[in-house]
Amino acid sequence: MRLRRVNPIKEILRPLGQLLIFVIGSAVIISAFVLLLALLLRPTRTDIDIFQVSLILLPQVLIDGITLGFMYAIIAMGYTMVYGVLEFINFAHGEFVMFGAFAGVELLIWLNAQGVLRTSEMWLALLWLVLAVLLGMSVGGALAVSAERFAYRPLRGTPRLVPLIAAIGVSFLLQDTMRFLQSAINGDFYRTFPEFGPFAQRLTLFSLSIDERPINIAVQYKAILLISFAIIMLVALNYLVNATRLGKAIRSVAQDQRTASLMGIDVNRIIALTFLIGGAMGGAAGVLWTFRFTRADPYMGFIPGLKAFTAAVLGGIGSIVGAMLGGMVLGLLESFAASYFSIFSRGAFGAEYKDIFAFGILILVLIFRPQGLLGGKTTQKA
Amino acid sequence: MSAMLELEKVTKRFGGLVAVNAVDLRFEKGSISSVIGPNGAGKTTIFNIITGIYRPDEGNVRFEGRSIVGKRPDQITELGLCRTFQNIRLFNNMTVLENILVGAHTRTPSTAWGAVLRTRHFKEAEEAARQEALQLLRFVGLPRGLGDQLARNLPYGQQRRVEIARALASKPRLLLLDEPTAGMNPQETESAMRLFRRLRDELGITVVLIEHDMKVVMGISERVSVIDYGQKIAEGTPEEVRKDQRVIEAYLGRSAMVETAAVERSRP
Amino acid sequence: MSTQIAPTHRFRQLFRGPLGVLLTLAYIGAITALLILEPRSLLWRLLLFTALALIYFIPQRPAVKVILSVLLLAIVVPTVGLRNPFLLEIGFQVAVFATLALGLNVVVGFAGLLDLGYIAFFAVGAYLWAFFGSQQLWHLNDPPGTFSIYPTFPLAAWWFWIFIPLAILAATATGILLGFPVLRLRGDYLAIVTLGFGEVIRVLANNLDKPINLTNGPQGITPIQRPPLPPFLTSPEVLATLSGWAGRPIGLNDVYGFFFYFMGLIVLIVTIIIARRLEHSKLGRSWTAIREDDVAAVAMGVPLRRTKLTAFAIGAAFSGAMGVLYASNRTFVSPETFSLTASISILVMVILGGLGSIPGVVLGAAVVTLLNIDILQTLSLLLSSLRQGNEVIPLLGVPWKNLPTQLDPARYQRFVFGLLLIFMMIFRPEGMVPAERARLELHESEEEFSPEVKLEGDAMPEEQPVD
Ligand SMILES: Nc1ncnc2c1ncn2[C@@H]1O[C@H](COP(=O)(O)OP(=O)(O)OP(=O)(O)O)[C@@H](O)[C@H]1O
Ligand SMILES: [Mg+2]
Repeated sequence: MRLRRVNPIKEILRPLGQLLIFVIGSAVIISAFVLLLALLLRPTRTDIDIFQVSLILLPQVLIDGITLGFMYAIIAMGYTMVYGVLEFINFAHGEFVMFGAFAGVELLIWLNAQGVLRTSEMWLALLWLVLAVLLGMSVGGALAVSAERFAYRPLRGTPRLVPLIAAIGVSFLLQDTMRFLQSAINGDFYRTFPEFGPFAQRLTLFSLSIDERPINIAVQYKAILLISFAIIMLVALNYLVNATRLGKAIRSVAQDQRTASLMGIDVNRIIALTFLIGGAMGGAAGVLWTFRFTRADPYMGFIPGLKAFTAAVLGGIGSIVGAMLGGMVLGLLESFAASYFSIFSRGAFGAEYKDIFAFGILILVLIFRPQGLLGGKTTQKA
Repeated sequence: MSAMLELEKVTKRFGGLVAVNAVDLRFEKGSISSVIGPNGAGKTTIFNIITGIYRPDEGNVRFEGRSIVGKRPDQITELGLCRTFQNIRLFNNMTVLENILVGAHTRTPSTAWGAVLRTRHFKEAEEAARQEALQLLRFVGLPRGLGDQLARNLPYGQQRRVEIARALASKPRLLLLDEPTAGMNPQETESAMRLFRRLRDELGITVVLIEHDMKVVMGISERVSVIDYGQKIAEGTPEEVRKDQRVIEAYLGRSAMVETAAVERSRP
Repeated sequence: MSTQIAPTHRFRQLFRGPLGVLLTLAYIGAITALLILEPRSLLWRLLLFTALALIYFIPQRPAVKVILSVLLLAIVVPTVGLRNPFLLEIGFQVAVFATLALGLNVVVGFAGLLDLGYIAFFAVGAYLWAFFGSQQLWHLNDPPGTFSIYPTFPLAAWWFWIFIPLAILAATATGILLGFPVLRLRGDYLAIVTLGFGEVIRVLANNLDKPINLTNGPQGITPIQRPPLPPFLTSPEVLATLSGWAGRPIGLNDVYGFFFYFMGLIVLIVTIIIARRLEHSKLGRSWTAIREDDVAAVAMGVPLRRTKLTAFAIGAAFSGAMGVLYASNRTFVSPETFSLTASISILVMVILGGLGSIPGVVLGAAVVTLLNIDILQTLSLLLSSLRQGNEVIPLLGVPWKNLPTQLDPARYQRFVFGLLLIFMMIFRPEGMVPAERARLELHESEEEFSPEVKLEGDAMPEEQPVD
C-alpha cells in the first residue's frame, strides 16, 4: 500500500471517465454486433426488414440496458466489497436490496396517503424520492450490519462453505420475514410503488427519420434520474474507498487482515463498515429498482442479486471498477437478449431466456476467465 | 550413471518474484540427497514443481528419463514419485489406516462396481491393501493399534511418520521429504534418520530431503544441493558444501533469521 | 461434556438386552393402537416416526434392529395405512426425499462439493418419464391448453420399468456434462454455478412449450402413467377383503398407495446400501480425502477431476431414479416442483442430519419432509378452521377471522429452512447424527466427539502457496 496524497478532483473525475468509457464502449460493441447480425439475417426474411426493426428498437434497448446496467453495478458493489475483504459470497445481499426497496416504498405509500405526494413540481417530487432512497440505504445498511454481526461473524475462520450456507439461510429467512411482515400488516405480500411526480414524462433528445418514418429519440425522466443517482453513488463510493482514511483501512484489511490488525486497524469494525456500505448501496438499489419496475415483493432481490454477483465476477470480483464494468456489460447484454432473441428467432425464443443468458455468461466467465474481465494475474482488490 | 530425477533450467515466477531461477538438479538412483537453503529460498517450490502441483514457467523435469512436465500430480504419483509436506497435510478426520489406504490409491485395483456388489475381487483387493497398510505402519515404527485413531488425534512426531507411511503406500521409487524432522526432539530426529536410511537400504527407494537440521543433512545425505534466492549456489558432498564460501555467506548473512525460524520450528 | 452425555446414555441402557426389545415392542404396539383408534392424529403419526429413530439408537444387535424395523415398516405402517392412506403417502415422500438427500450427501457430505442445483437431476428423471409416459409425444405441435386427454398412450405403462434405468443414465449423463466444465471451480463458485444450472433447468421446463411443446410449460404434464399392477392385487375380491379390514372402501388408488410406499422403501434401502458400500471403499476414501485436503489427495495419486465427477454422477443417478417414481406417483409434473427452494430443502436435510452421515441424512430427510408435507400443512388446516369460527386470538384481541390468508404456515417453508441453516452452521455444523459419531458407534465406543466439519471442496488453485 502506497501512502500517496490523493487529489480529490481526480478521484471524482477518474470513475466518471471510467463509467463513460464502459457505457459507451460496451454499448457500441454490443450494438454493432447486433446490427451486423441483423444485416446478415436480412436476406432470410421477406416479411419484415429485420435490419430496420432492429435499428428502430435500438435506442430504447440501449437506454433500458444502461439503466439496468447501472442498477446491477450498484448491487454488485455489495458483493464485490465484501468479497474483497472476506473472500465470502454474501448470498443474502439480494435480500438487503429487497428490504431497502420495501422501506422506500412503504415510506412513499405513507406519504402518498398523507396527500404529500400530489405534486407536479419536479424538485419536490425529487425530494421525496431522495428521502425514500436514503431510508432504503439506512435499512439495507442496518440489515447488512446485523447479518454480519449475528450470522457471519461467529463463523469467521470456519471452512469457506460454512458461512456460505449460513448466508443462504439468512437469505431465505429474510425473504419470509418480509413476507410475514407484509402479510400481517397489509394482508398481501407485495407492494406497488406509488405514481407521483412528473417522472414518467419524456424528454425528446432528437428526431430522425428512417425511410421517411419519423422517429423520436426520447428518454423518460425516470431513466435520467436513475442513471444520475447511480452515477452519484458510484462516484461517491469510489471516492470513499480511494481517497479517505476509511477507504485506506478497508483496502488494507482486504490486502491482509493480520497485518492490518497489527497496524492498529480494528478489523471487526472495518468489516462491519464494509457490510454497512455494501448494504446501503443495495438498499438504495432496491428503491431505485422498484421506482423502475414498480413492484416490491419479498423474492424480488434474489434474481437481481444473482445477476449482480454475475456482474461482479464478470468484471473481476473484489474490484470496484470491475463491478461497474461487469454491471454495464451484463445489463446491456440482458436488455439486448430480451429484445432481440425473439426477433432473430422468429418468436421461437423470447425474453424468458434472458436469465439463462445471464447464467450462461456466469458459467462461461468462471470457466474461461475466473479472474474476470479486468482482473489481472493477481486480482485487484477493493 | 543413470539419474533418477533430473531438473533442467527450471524457473518458476510468482508475479514479479522469481521463486526458482534456472535451477539444475540431478538425483542419482539409490541415493540419499538433501536440498538445503535459507527460508524462502524456493526449496518447497522445487518440490511442488517436481510433483506437478506447479507448472514450471521454463525448463524441464525428467523422471527416469521421461519428461513429467505438464503431467497432473496424480499421474506423477502413479509413475512412482511421492512426497510428504512441510506442514503435515494428513486427512485429519480420517483414521490413520484410511490415510495410508488413500496413499495406496494408485495401487489398489478395486472398482466402484466391485464395491457396490461386494465382489470377491473387491474384498481381496481391500484386504490386501489393509494388510499392506498395517505392514507400513509397522515399518515406520508405529503400533498396529494406532490404525483406528483419527489422524488429528496423534502427536506431531507420529503424524510425520504416518505421512511417510502414506507416501510409501503408493510404492514410490523416489520419495521427496519436505523438512521431515522439523519440530522433532533429538531422539525423535535420531530415529527418523534411521528410518530414512531403511527406506533406501530395505526398500530401495531414492530419497530426497529438504532439511534445516544440519546434523541430519551431514549425517545421512550423500549429496547436498544448496538453494538461495531461487538459485542453486552450491552442490557436492556434505564436506564440500560445508566449506563452500558462498554457502557460508548465504547462511551467515541471514543467520539471525535462520535461528528465529529454527526456534519457531521447534515449537509447532 | 460428560454431564451432557449421562442422561441419554442412561436412557440407552434402558433398552439393553431382551427387556429392551420388549420395551421397544411395547412402544410400537402402543403407538399402533393409538393410530388405529385415531388414524388422523398428527401427534401419533409423529410418534410412529420416533419409533423408527428409537430402533436406530437402542443398543441392540443389528439383526434385532433389522427385524424391528421390518416389523415397523412392513407391517405396522401398512396396517395403519389401510385406515389412513396419508401415512403411506408420507412414507413414500420420506423415501423419495431421503434418497435425494443421500444422493446430495455423496456430493456435499462425502466429496465436499456444494451443489445448490441438485434438484435439476431429479427434474431430468421426472421429465423423462413425464414426456414418454404421458401423451405429450402426440402434442409436440399443440400449444399448452389446446388439447384434450385421450384414453390411450403412445407407450405402454410397463415401460415405466425400462425408464428407471434410462433415467439413471440420463441423470448421470447430465451430471457429467455439467460437472465436466464446472468441477474445477473453487467451492463457493461451484455453489453459485450449480444454482444457476438448477435455475436454467427450471426455466427450460417452463418455456420449452415452444417452438416444440416438450414440457407443456408452466401447466406441466399430466396424466403420467403408473406402472401396471399384477392382476391379483387389483381383483375385486382382494379389494373387497381389504375394504373389510380397513373399514372403508379400498380402490385402485389405495393399492397404488401401497405399491409406491413399498417401491420407495426398496429404492431407499438399495440407495442406503450402495451409499454405505461406496463410503467404505477406495472411491469413498478418495472423496473424503479431496474434501479434507485436495492438494494432499492429488499428491497421493487421487485424480481430482475424475473423483469429483463420479461423486456428481452418482449423486445425480440416485436422484434420476427417484424422479421417475415421483412423476408416476403424482401422475403430474410441473416446473414448480423443481425450484431453488426444493434444492435448498434437500440441502437442509443433509445438514440437519449430519454431513456425510448416512443415518443422519435419512433422519434429516424424514424430519424436513414431515415438516413440509405434514406439520406445516396441519398447522395451516388448523388455522383455516379457526378462521371459520368466531374466536379471538388470545393476547392480541384480533378475531382469527381477520387473519390474512397469506399468513398460512405452509407458505413459510423458507423461513424454517433459513433458521435451520443458520442455527446449524453456528451451533452444530456436524448435524444431529454426526458422521464421526456414527463411525464410533460401529466401534462400540461411548466416547463423544464434536468435530468441526470440514467443508472444503475447492479445486486446486494453481497459484496458492503449498507447503
Ligand atoms: N503460490 C505462491 N504464490 C506466491 N508466492 C509464493 C507461492 N509459493 C511460494 N511463494 C514464494 O516463493 C518463495 C519461495 O518459497 P518456498 O516455500 O519455496 O521456500 P522454502 O525454501 O521452502 O522456504 P522454507 O524454508 O521457509 O520452507 C517465497 O518467497 C514464497 O513467499
Ligand atoms: Mg518450504
